[in-house]
Amino acid sequence: MHVSLRGITVDFGNLRAVDKVSLEANAGEIHAVVGENGAGKSTIMSVLYGSNTDFSGDILCNGKRVSWSSPRDAIKAGIGMVHQHFMLVGNLTVLENITLGNELINQFGFIKFNTIRANILNIISRYKIHIDLDELVDNLSVAQRQIVEIIKLLYRESMVLILDEPTAVLTPNEREIFFHSLRNFKAENKTIILITHKIDEVMDIADHVTVLRNGKLISSSHLNTTNKEKISQEIVGREIPRLNIKRGAYENKKILDVKDVIIKTNFNAKQAINFCIKKGEIIGIAGVSGNGQTELIETLIGIRRASDGEINLLDRNIINENTQTRRMMGISFVPQDRQRDGLALGASVWENACITKVNNKKFSWGSFLRKENMKAFSRSLIREFNIKVNGPDALVRTMSGGNMQKLVVARELSSQCPLIIIENPTWGIDIGSIAFIHQKIMDIKSAGVAILLVSNELDEITSLSDSAFVMYEGTLSKRISKGENFRELIGQHMLSGFNTYYSPTGISPDE
Amino acid sequence: MIEDFLDPEFFSSIARLTTPILLAALGGLICHRAGVFNIALEGFILLGAFMAVLGSYIGDSAFWGALSAILGGIFLALVFSEFHLRRRGDPIVVSIAINLLGLGLSTYLLRSIFDVSGVFSHPNIHKLPTINWPFLDSLWLLDLIFNDQSILFYLAILSVIAFHYFLKYHKIGLWIRVAGENQEALRSSGSNPVQVKFLALLICGIFCGLAGAQLSISNVGLFVENMSAGRGWIAVVVVLLCAGRPIPLFFLIILFGVVDSLSLRIQGLGLPQQITEMMPYIVSILVLVFASFRRFRFSSKTHL
Amino acid sequence: MSKINKTKTAGIVIETLATFLSISLIIFFLLYLADANFSEAIRGFIKSSIGGRKNAYLFTTFSKMALITGMAIAALIAFRAGLFNIGGEGQLVVGGLVSAFVGLSVADFGLYGILLALASGMAAGAIWALLSGFLTIYMGVPLLVGSLLLNYPARYISSYLVSHPFRDVNSGLPQTFLLPKSVWLPYFQGTRLDVGIILIFLVYLFILVISQKTKYGYYSKCMGISFSFAKISGLPTKKIVFETLALSGAIAGLVGSIAVLGIHHRFTDGMLVQPLYAWTGIIAALMVNLNLWGIPLAGFFFAAISTGAAGMERIAQVPKEIATIIQAIIILFVVGKLGSLGSASISSGESDHD
Repeated sequence: MHVSLRGITVDFGNLRAVDKVSLEANAGEIHAVVGENGAGKSTIMSVLYGSNTDFSGDILCNGKRVSWSSPRDAIKAGIGMVHQHFMLVGNLTVLENITLGNELINQFGFIKFNTIRANILNIISRYKIHIDLDELVDNLSVAQRQIVEIIKLLYRESMVLILDEPTAVLTPNEREIFFHSLRNFKAENKTIILITHKIDEVMDIADHVTVLRNGKLISSSHLNTTNKEKISQEIVGREIPRLNIKRGAYENKKILDVKDVIIKTNFNAKQAINFCIKKGEIIGIAGVSGNGQTELIETLIGIRRASDGEINLLDRNIINENTQTRRMMGISFVPQDRQRDGLALGASVWENACITKVNNKKFSWGSFLRKENMKAFSRSLIREFNIKVNGPDALVRTMSGGNMQKLVVARELSSQCPLIIIENPTWGIDIGSIAFIHQKIMDIKSAGVAILLVSNELDEITSLSDSAFVMYEGTLSKRISKGENFRELIGQHMLSGFNTYYSPTGISPDE
Repeated sequence: MIEDFLDPEFFSSIARLTTPILLAALGGLICHRAGVFNIALEGFILLGAFMAVLGSYIGDSAFWGALSAILGGIFLALVFSEFHLRRRGDPIVVSIAINLLGLGLSTYLLRSIFDVSGVFSHPNIHKLPTINWPFLDSLWLLDLIFNDQSILFYLAILSVIAFHYFLKYHKIGLWIRVAGENQEALRSSGSNPVQVKFLALLICGIFCGLAGAQLSISNVGLFVENMSAGRGWIAVVVVLLCAGRPIPLFFLIILFGVVDSLSLRIQGLGLPQQITEMMPYIVSILVLVFASFRRFRFSSKTHL
Repeated sequence: MSKINKTKTAGIVIETLATFLSISLIIFFLLYLADANFSEAIRGFIKSSIGGRKNAYLFTTFSKMALITGMAIAALIAFRAGLFNIGGEGQLVVGGLVSAFVGLSVADFGLYGILLALASGMAAGAIWALLSGFLTIYMGVPLLVGSLLLNYPARYISSYLVSHPFRDVNSGLPQTFLLPKSVWLPYFQGTRLDVGIILIFLVYLFILVISQKTKYGYYSKCMGISFSFAKISGLPTKKIVFETLALSGAIAGLVGSIAVLGIHHRFTDGMLVQPLYAWTGIIAALMVNLNLWGIPLAGFFFAAISTGAAGMERIAQVPKEIATIIQAIIILFVVGKLGSLGSASISSGESDHD
């Protein structure tokens, strides 16, 4: 099906999120839409999918003007979407999830689950997918959940597939299989719109690429009329700042030594975790999110109890200490979810900047606060980290995502702890802030801080860390040292549970 | 001693004592599943109880009593929807306000319409009909428990089963479950979560209204100020405990009914009334404690 | 930009007017239902909330204001820390009950007796609140439900104690004996207003200071905004929970003591429950969006509504429950304007989609 969007404009209050963007996607084509976070990619797709009806401009399907009042209309017209955050309901079964939105009912409104089941079984046997329809979605891996989302589209017989950052949850190997499936869908003459921020993927698979920046259309061209450098220029709109990596050697002094720790995860793995970080060393933990990284971090900072083993910080076992003590003893932590864990959005900048340092004599006198010193300290952080905000009394809520993250990083990096745990520090922020934060991380590395970097972005791990581990289903791989095949080796260790559910050639129809 | 407990009144009072809580809890259950944190059941029941007496008195029949109780429940459900769903007020605050509104309105109207305070009873208040099943007459225990109960008792039992199937297999039931679990998923599948929640609130209003009617015009035929006396809160606790599943909800409520009934018996044996009236709340706390140790599934989000 | 601000201001004005009009309409409808003479009712309302001979009614309002403000502060400090303690009623009742018992037995100690009675009331309230904290932290009972359920044992136990073992049988009511004059809170000269309002004012100042100037105030505010932020930042969350609940319960207990030692001079069954002091306090705290500066005003406002309604009942035969209805309606109209209650919205189990 040919879809086209003409002159789409979307306003969020005073903010123009999408500004007169037009886009054409043909049947049997993979159309990539690329841009930075906040460029308007997801917004414009929500227009096409009918979940945003407050816009101006036209949607055309096969040349006819259409209008949706809700996603239901778009679904009926053959448009399907897999959102970046899956729209699945955890404690419903796979069958119920697929049914939702396309319920086949009898005259009393009861759902004909038997008919639906038969239909779905048909699809999954035709495409050689293996999945248990009666399993709760909560019990599925991330990759399996994505398959459920795709079965949903197949069941609804969607002819236009909108995929929002589909590879973010996949290992490199799984990604290849997934791309196979996309090529198969393309051969079935489906229209595929792929939203991504990874240029390599575009070069791999797309036929046509549309670049958005700040809500505006920058370019739209066939892949063979453009190239990688040009696209990345267009995405950022300026030179990408280069990271100044002076990879100093680390010292042979163990800062953190984790011995035989058993972490409680949802996986059955009972394998002990062992690793150590030396002074001035960055250890990366790679892996698709949801493989136990959160549990590992929570165990290290003392929110989750480890059942066994030792966590030695500067040769003292801290396994029985609580978070407060561990922080005082020298662990600082940059959490991924800055809005919930990293910051108190309703509080001011100074209240956020000093929360981990109140017991410092400079900031308190007995039970009383020394607010002036706290504010002065916040001002110095704002200056040093180039945070754009009105001053220490401004509410954090009013800051942009990149500046919020800078504030969290500023607070944690300024704590002068010997060990810093950093979890996805650049998640969902602009390229400028990413470069800035990466630079700061390298700076404190040279200052001799031991760093544990947990990240889902393979590039972040490979460019920053000295050695890396891969976390998969609650266990840690063996140590992979930086060397020639660093990236490939990590990729290999992100073992794939994918093959079990897909055939090796991806979701392909049985000829 | 045992015989003192297990006299016929013990068994027949279980149904009488549980029906209002069961009806209210069913309403709360639908809200819980739809993701509406409605802890205003107490206010709903109270207004329902008053409206039942009013309708029964004015309309000169129990039917009008039940209908007006339903209208009372729906009225508060509409208030809840307006301020929570449309104006996006915090559900806890809205609930607190509605509990006060139910208390205030029922007492105010009692005094301004009937010009009495405290208790209102009148021969014109018609009671809900009871149903006699002749085939149960000879089955001693079943006869005591199930026979000659108010019509709403049978409705409540049927509703437990109906709710079970409705939630599991009906389209709207599926939507209600999704609305409570992940409303973005519902929106993305093309249904409007606000409408689904509104529907859930209406159902809740109807059932809580009936709970009120059962309280005021089923056995006693009178209205007492604040006569719900915390039953709405017990219903809230039960809904939380059973995580919104109708069948476990039913058995939990039976447990409460047995305790209630037992404490009435004990009161007969000379224990002060205040102590026996306190029992359901103590049991609620104990069951909550027990449940958390047994790791019953109930929303961990509600811990603080 | 200024144009936007203008239309915004105009919008707020119109909305406020519309809210005011809706509330007035509802009140008139209620008065109509009660068959009341409008002008008489309104005159009665105003006269008995702030007027009266020698301002007697104004002093009644002040005395109520002390209780409502106290309960509002108790609610506010808990809510501010994200702890939905709606068990103020139970804490109030045990506070009042215990100080009545202590007051009866320390008649000979003069001022020390009063202080002892107040302190024991506060301790009782604090213990009752800590009980719900204990249930939450160690037993997994949601605070919202646990604190509420504990209201009922407090209510029924106090009712039992004053209607059986400790009853003043000759009075004919379920209540304790009258306290000896030596433990009454003193009155302001020439009035029937007791010094309880000063105690509440001191509490208010104390809370202002600790919430603005101390580590505890800073920590509890952050915990109220995001519990997981507090946890991950290494704040002693458990300690904050217990400190906050103890403080909240102690203030509620103090209010109970003031009601017993300053106003009623005995504990009568239901005397602290029926006037809905605890709930009115919660509503007052919510109305000012948990802003401490607004608390005294909100306290006075609701006290005035309550005494005004009582006057309306005397003069125009309008049931005084109209006050409860008005409170409920006001908070309903205000609630949409409030933000979500920080991590208190944890208790709602609802995910705010952002």
